Amino acid sequence: MKRFSVLSAVLACAATTFAQEKVVIQYDCIPNYANWGGVTAAYFKASGVRVPPDMKGSSAAMAALELEKANPQADTVYYNGGIGYQAAQKGLHEPYKPEGFEKIPDDLKDPEGTWFTVHTAHIAILVNTSALGGKPVPRSFADLLKPEYKGMVVYDDPTIHGTGFTFVYGINAILGGGSDFKAGFDYLKALDANILNYAKENSYNELLRGEIPIWINADGNGLKARHTDKAPVEVVIPKEGTVVLPMVMALVKGAPRPEEAKKYLDWLLGDEAQKVMAESYFRPIMKVDLGPGLSSQFLPDSAYAKVQALPLKEMAADADDFKARWTREIRAGR
Amino acid sequence: MEAAPLATGAGPRRRAWELLLALPLAVVFAAFLLYPILTILLTSLKPGSGVLHSGGGGSSSHTIFSNYLELFRDPIYCEAMLHSLVLSASVALGATLLCLGPAWLFARYEFPGKRLMRAGFALPMSLSGILVGFLAVIMLGRVGFIPQMSQGLTGKAWLSGAAYQLSGLVIAYLYFEIPRGVVTLESALSKFDPRLDAAARSLGASRWQRFLWIVLPLIAPALVATFAVTFSVSLGSFGVALVLSKRFSVLPLELFHQVVAITNFPLASAMAVFLIALALALNFALGRWMRRHFSLRHA
Amino acid sequence: MRENLRRPGFLPLYAFTLVLWLIVMSPFAVVVLGAFLQTTFLGLSTEQWARGGDGESLFSVKWFGYVWGLYRGTLLFSVKLALLSVLLCLLIGVPGGMVLARRQFPGRDLLESIVLLPLSLPGIALSIGILQAFAIVRGEWWLILAGHLLYTLPFMVRMVMDALRSFDVAALETAARSLGAGYWQRLRWVVLPNLRHAMVAASLLVFCVSWGEFNISFLLNTPLNQTFPAALYATYTTNSFQVSSAATVIFLGVVVPALMAIQWLGGGRGVKLEQGV
Repeated sequence: MKRFSVLSAVLACAATTFAQEKVVIQYDCIPNYANWGGVTAAYFKASGVRVPPDMKGSSAAMAALELEKANPQADTVYYNGGIGYQAAQKGLHEPYKPEGFEKIPDDLKDPEGTWFTVHTAHIAILVNTSALGGKPVPRSFADLLKPEYKGMVVYDDPTIHGTGFTFVYGINAILGGGSDFKAGFDYLKALDANILNYAKENSYNELLRGEIPIWINADGNGLKARHTDKAPVEVVIPKEGTVVLPMVMALVKGAPRPEEAKKYLDWLLGDEAQKVMAESYFRPIMKVDLGPGLSSQFLPDSAYAKVQALPLKEMAADADDFKARWTREIRAGR
Repeated sequence: MEAAPLATGAGPRRRAWELLLALPLAVVFAAFLLYPILTILLTSLKPGSGVLHSGGGGSSSHTIFSNYLELFRDPIYCEAMLHSLVLSASVALGATLLCLGPAWLFARYEFPGKRLMRAGFALPMSLSGILVGFLAVIMLGRVGFIPQMSQGLTGKAWLSGAAYQLSGLVIAYLYFEIPRGVVTLESALSKFDPRLDAAARSLGASRWQRFLWIVLPLIAPALVATFAVTFSVSLGSFGVALVLSKRFSVLPLELFHQVVAITNFPLASAMAVFLIALALALNFALGRWMRRHFSLRHA
Repeated sequence: MRENLRRPGFLPLYAFTLVLWLIVMSPFAVVVLGAFLQTTFLGLSTEQWARGGDGESLFSVKWFGYVWGLYRGTLLFSVKLALLSVLLCLLIGVPGGMVLARRQFPGRDLLESIVLLPLSLPGIALSIGILQAFAIVRGEWWLILAGHLLYTLPFMVRMVMDALRSFDVAALETAARSLGAGYWQRLRWVVLPNLRHAMVAASLLVFCVSWGEFNISFLLNTPLNQTFPAALYATYTTNSFQVSSAATVIFLGVVVPALMAIQWLGGGRGVKLEQGV
């Protein structure tokens, strides 16, 4: 029985080492998406508050918030614009206007503060050139349909990830389709022949390794792969143009740590955080001085000549039906 | 199960309070096993909900079994169920056959390094499907270890991207079923009495005759048990498909998707009930079958 | 070994098993290699790191520091879960197993089959059951512990029962009683010492199962209470191969010694591991 007491003593020691440190929970805090790993590390340094990684995508984050309405676990949440708008309409957010809120352009925030943009990116084709096996770098969405890219293209499952959702929603507008989304779905059906898989998990690592040669994702993630992780990744803004990917945040309704969460959101719109975000090649929503070295690593403005902004309100209203349609027609192949 | 409880331990005076020692055990399983199963049973009868639920019909169209109807009518889910059954059955069959070799070796022979080998076989049991899926990509992905090595050695990238094919899925499933199969089969095979085999040999039976008529009938229950174990575990695994598959779906993956992305808990519960019922039915049926054949043989 | 070689059938069996074993071990070998080497055969990282040119040697342990920094919390949480699982399994499973093996009472068979049931049920189905049944306390760490208990208690109970049902314990107890030993005396001097072996082996097994458990934990995890296997998976998807390899080495560094210990205790033989995680 002595063994029991020894074990209990060990356990007691173990338990006391779990002194609670201050935390803020952010749903959708993927370390290598928009460099949240770097941003949260900077926040820990600045404030001593830890923001642990969270691997949910936009849609999964909204689903979790809905599920936990009665007993919220998260304090803040991060999504793409369309999903964030939808979640705000569902009443999952608490209005909060962090410091600097008034400087955010009007179309990139809710006037009440139920959501606001922290940075933006664009849908782009991220190409690991070493993994192409000598094939030319695709320059347009049309190029991606060529049979030579069979089994090489990946985009995120839009029912889980906001970036994937923005792409499948936006491709219709990029191709000049109408409100029936026929052009978009026709394209996605044709693209299906070249798809390796519809990623349900973050694929950044696989792009780096060349496991995925072509990933349709945010341009910022590709630039980070190229400049920070020194991978042979080229970021292609397709000839047909692209769409803006506004990334928004909000305070969760009934957040268990509202005061800490507000401080964190204030900090995120401040110079320091905005600069760290810029270092991950997402475009900060605030005007911060990037310095000549960093700004030259962004793609030139000319690459974004044909950029469209998606109407977030319609996107939010269509989201559920749209995802259902994608599941039927594309994932199930019907 | 096999042995009757020992009368000796109870002592002449029955101590009723001793039964209380099992109370915490009963409470834990009532609270965290039976109550949750009851909850999903009840939830599965509620109207579907969640972001993709286009049922749109309000409660008028809802009957208590509508989630089950949806499950069996929707081609996506039917296909996933079929995939689950076929994949689990073939993987279980493959694992049972493959494991016969190592299990026989471990049960019959002593040799240096045996413990290391057995510990190695136990290792993948502590991994989940998602991790196994990742290992499959590392080894058999487009730029996996094996294609890279073979490219370096022979100039041709063998098996490049095999992980994403159906074959990759089967290999990955086998990977985490083989250890389970080895352990289950070994414990059964070690009870097999080699003297029977020796007796048959002395009567002039050939190796194949002995295997077919002596060994096989005796180890059949063990094989069936191994099949049941590997089948049940495969049936519940979704991680491999989550990582590897583009379109090939299995029911646990659909369940996972319903929970994580769509939050249609009633439908997800119906799927869970179906999976649990299937696992129980299989175990029950195989248990009965085994008992019948066992008792016949002993009679 | 030498006499084995003379027996027909040994060599082919051994060769077949060895090949299978090598296949089972190969991914671990590749991953472990990746944790320590700056260059790797995998993907394009060779080129990538060469180009990075930060002048470091081929051998590096810096990735372990990175993993510790980012995922320390999950590591400690998993250790805590595994230790608590062992403790609770001993406190709940040993007395329970003793009663199940030694007493006959109404519902005994039912209780035994219920206790062993989780091993043959799909983990994800139980996971969403717990998720819904305890929605109101979702995110509490003890809910994950409860899930782990469902998958660890059966091992403890079964191994205790198997040990008690083995011939010698019963005979010893009869002998002790005939010598006039009372209930507590028999428990203290006869039953428990004979159970010690099973309890140690089962504890190690419980530790391994809890340490690697993923299916139940995955849906019950929150960012605050996340198990190490979930963090391991996060490193696989978003971090470089070196980081994920380092995390894997940490994972294996805990589980491999425990598995080896089970083998050396001889636990693997009498013990029916049957259905695992």
